[in-house]
Amino acid sequence: MTDTSLNTHVIASELAPAPAPIPTAPETQPQKLTRLRFRPARILLSILAIVVSVAWVFPVYWMLNSSLLSNRTLQSFIPTFVPIGGSFENYANALENGTFYSALGISLSVTLIAVFFCLLFAFLAAVAISRFRFKGRKSFVLAVLIIQMLPAEGLFIAQYKMVSSVGLLNSIIGVSIIYTAAVVPFTIWMLRGFVAGIPADLEEAAMVDGLSRTGAFMRITFPLLAPGLVASGVFAFLQAWNEFTVALVLLPAEDMHTLPLWLRGFIQASATRETDWGQVMAASTLVALPVIVFFLIVQGRMTSGLVAGAVKG
Amino acid sequence: MTATLTRDAPAAAPKPPAQRPRRRLSVPHLLLIPAIVILLVGMGYPLIWQIVTSMQEFGIKQQFGQPAPFVGLANYFSLATDPTMWEVVVRSIAFCFITAAVTLVVGLLLAVLMTAVGTVVRLILQISLLLAWAMPVVAAMTVWIWLFDRRRGVVNYLLDMIPGVDMNRFSWLSTPITFFIVASVIVIWMSVPFVAFSVYAGLTQVSEEVLEAAQLDGANGVKRLRYIIMPMIRPVIMIVLLLQLIWDLRVFTQITMLQDAGSKSSEYDLLGTYIYKLGAGSQDFGMASAVSIFVLALTLAISWFYVRSLLKEDEQS
Amino acid sequence: MKRKYAVAAIATAAALVLAGCSSTGGDAASTESAKGQDITLWLMGGDTPDTLRDYLKTEYKKATGGTLKIEEQGWGDAVAKLTTALPDAANTPDVTEIGNTWSPTFTNAGAFTDLSDMYDELGGDKLLKSFVEVGEVDGKQYALPYYFGSRYNFYRKDIWSAAGKTVPTTLAEFDETVKSLKTDTQSGFYIGGSDWRNGISWIFANGGDLAKKDGDKWVGTLASDETVKGLTEFQSLFEGASLAPATEFDSTPWVNINNNEATGVPEAATIIAPGWAHWSIGDLAPDPKDATKTVATWNDDTFGTFVLPGVDGGAAPVFAGGSNIAVSAASKNQAGAKELMKIIFSEDYQTLLGENGLGPANLDYASALGDDQFAKALVESAAGSKLTPAAPGWAAVEGAGILEEFFGKVSAGGDVKALATEYDEKLDKLLN
Repeated sequence: MTDTSLNTHVIASELAPAPAPIPTAPETQPQKLTRLRFRPARILLSILAIVVSVAWVFPVYWMLNSSLLSNRTLQSFIPTFVPIGGSFENYANALENGTFYSALGISLSVTLIAVFFCLLFAFLAAVAISRFRFKGRKSFVLAVLIIQMLPAEGLFIAQYKMVSSVGLLNSIIGVSIIYTAAVVPFTIWMLRGFVAGIPADLEEAAMVDGLSRTGAFMRITFPLLAPGLVASGVFAFLQAWNEFTVALVLLPAEDMHTLPLWLRGFIQASATRETDWGQVMAASTLVALPVIVFFLIVQGRMTSGLVAGAVKG
Repeated sequence: MTATLTRDAPAAAPKPPAQRPRRRLSVPHLLLIPAIVILLVGMGYPLIWQIVTSMQEFGIKQQFGQPAPFVGLANYFSLATDPTMWEVVVRSIAFCFITAAVTLVVGLLLAVLMTAVGTVVRLILQISLLLAWAMPVVAAMTVWIWLFDRRRGVVNYLLDMIPGVDMNRFSWLSTPITFFIVASVIVIWMSVPFVAFSVYAGLTQVSEEVLEAAQLDGANGVKRLRYIIMPMIRPVIMIVLLLQLIWDLRVFTQITMLQDAGSKSSEYDLLGTYIYKLGAGSQDFGMASAVSIFVLALTLAISWFYVRSLLKEDEQS
Repeated sequence: MKRKYAVAAIATAAALVLAGCSSTGGDAASTESAKGQDITLWLMGGDTPDTLRDYLKTEYKKATGGTLKIEEQGWGDAVAKLTTALPDAANTPDVTEIGNTWSPTFTNAGAFTDLSDMYDELGGDKLLKSFVEVGEVDGKQYALPYYFGSRYNFYRKDIWSAAGKTVPTTLAEFDETVKSLKTDTQSGFYIGGSDWRNGISWIFANGGDLAKKDGDKWVGTLASDETVKGLTEFQSLFEGASLAPATEFDSTPWVNINNNEATGVPEAATIIAPGWAHWSIGDLAPDPKDATKTVATWNDDTFGTFVLPGVDGGAAPVFAGGSNIAVSAASKNQAGAKELMKIIFSEDYQTLLGENGLGPANLDYASALGDDQFAKALVESAAGSKLTPAAPGWAAVEGAGILEEFFGKVSAGGDVKALATEYDEKLDKLLN
């Protein structure tokens, strides 16, 4: 790489306060890059986009479709593409013993606790490294970056020993601590870009108008950060919600299983017989549903959050 | 390409954030305390344990309380001389580079596509990507394994319908090449939404005036893309690429679930599953820790391009 | 370093003294101290039916007044969870089921309590010998048999008789018959290429083994003449009779012997499976209780069983499937745990195991299996059955998936002798 100066320059300028990225919803920004005056080209591209959409959503559709079909129908070598004559029986079966609800409760608690503390801690740290210059700043940034790269698969014995020695095995707190620690580095990294993207000038102007520094921050910067916090929160949520190696070791009791463990148990339970795909797909749908609902709720804010300068640096 | 193209002046002009000497002492450190504490609590001990264990002979007997002999770098030496290890490393790097590159290219193209189509079509595309992104990994893997099922999978069924193609009962997970193609497809499917959304977000930030000016100066579409758009979204691409590289190098859940459905043979291992097999499978925690530390170093080496620029940027500011 | 060892030696000695103390009390005392102890039992997978679990809970309550908590662990994640939980006094299960082949690893590591003093009370010599042996270290019993379920063949009488075939009496005849039954859409004998638990029967039958103890070290014996002969026979059988992928391991072959619902014909004429598979084999019909499911009803006209024949007739030594059970050494509720062991090895519980198709640990109660063809085949195949080597590192061998890999490569048509030499080296590294 000979053009490192360019490289650095790009990043440095990214870190410098950009013009106020007032959260502009993507909808209000029409196609300004590719001015396609030819309708045929545009139609072709629209068709391409639809094809891509269908291909991308197909596995999700297939999960829903299969979850509504009986195991007998699924046994056939000719796939059924539309769940005509389907039923919710697979769902009833998957929910039958009630373990889903306890797993849902535990997953929600662990994830929400982890997301909350992760955002709080990461936000404070992001403010520190993007608004202040101090001794140890570089080491901290570097440490955060490196911790992210540690593979988690070898850590479980140490994590078990640690959590168990303080009596937090099979507890929501124990797993939440590990999750928060695991997600914090990435969140700091992401939020750092957001905080840097909000011009300090705005705050200073507010201070000139008589607000205290904290007041200026809370009144001016924080609202502008909201989309950034949502976008980072979504990542933290996904990571905590999906995790299963740590949960496997730290939550050995059956009644403390999180949803990924519940689903895995479901798949494994059918290892001795032929996989009951209908039921497994129903169970998968049940695990996916809370995330999809969550995504749809935060969707608008998240997209504007990404637009506002997420993951820029 | 010159540096002047990277960003228009107004963006870079304001003073850097670092010029606040009066708060030099306590405030930033106080702000860092919660993050540092949680990192020390959650990751500090495991990390140190891993480093220490990587220099010990630590097997199941040690786990049950027997003393662990210190062996220095012996674990690392035996790793370095183990051909299986190098096969896994090479395979992982190849998988990581190919998957990350394809993810990036597809994500970029989809982002550009989003800017080129009407609102309705764009929303359809965005929602499909969002749905794929929201799928929990374990659930998504289950569906994909079902799609690629040898007997009743839709993939084989559809491919078999193409005249002249015999894919009836084709066992995707039974040869390393097809196994990793499937793995790669799944990982790409899962990662593209993130890339596409991020790049799209970056694209919508590209200043319209600059583009118009360039057009007036006679720059055609390709030139505009190359000289204006690309440099502007380059930071986004850099960080997205870095994240993909980190994530794809140590991909674990996807591979281990595919192995459950296919083959546990070491030819199907990537670094993540290799570490897990050494540790959880063979109870050789000394070696597993050594591989983990090696992976950390490897990730650092791969992402050095980014780390170095980060450090330089820090010196300058 | 020396000091470290000394400390360990003292600790070990102290543990022995403590263990000695607890055992001198005798039965009455241990029952007394078990009063009110709440204990946890880990069971692997869903093999133990609910009625048996309820029985254990009720009986334990009756005997001690304490509560028995049963937690089911998936086979796939069990080793990782046992490795972390067993040394941890605060969280260990008090009693745990373990895969019989993992017993040497955990007993050698010191995971379990010495049960020698109650061995005779729990059944002693009547307990299935091969399972007792894998749970022994230096003549002391740490892990005892829980149940066994050895493997035998299921075949389609209709297909066999249409082809004019009869039940074979030697292994060579078996190979030849099932090869002749293979068509483009039907396996003569359906077996996954990496399914070593079934595949080793051909090694055992030819007098080979996977590893042996040479002095005080375990070494792989895949490249021994007998083993290579068995493997070569298996390779030719797989290539000639099975349509399964070479990478398929723990498969569910019984789905292949039932009529396929879409085509109306089975995909396999013969399979080998653990005895309890017979609940899944038969004529398929919708489950009257739940229309989305099917139930299989055994039909003697279409389906039959036979024991895999040996090289010179008789029964071939097949892999002895099943579990062991042991008391965690770290458990604080030793008395309660031992009380539970007594319940498990009681006549009532052993009989219940048999009635549910699981081979009871105490062979005196094997008659509880009944005298139908399944029971007969189970007992007959178990008689000659063999276990994997009792090497301390055996769980590591299984955990690393080395045998799946090796069998897969053999099935894919690799050079048997060269592969065997290569994999002996890999075994040697892990066995000790």
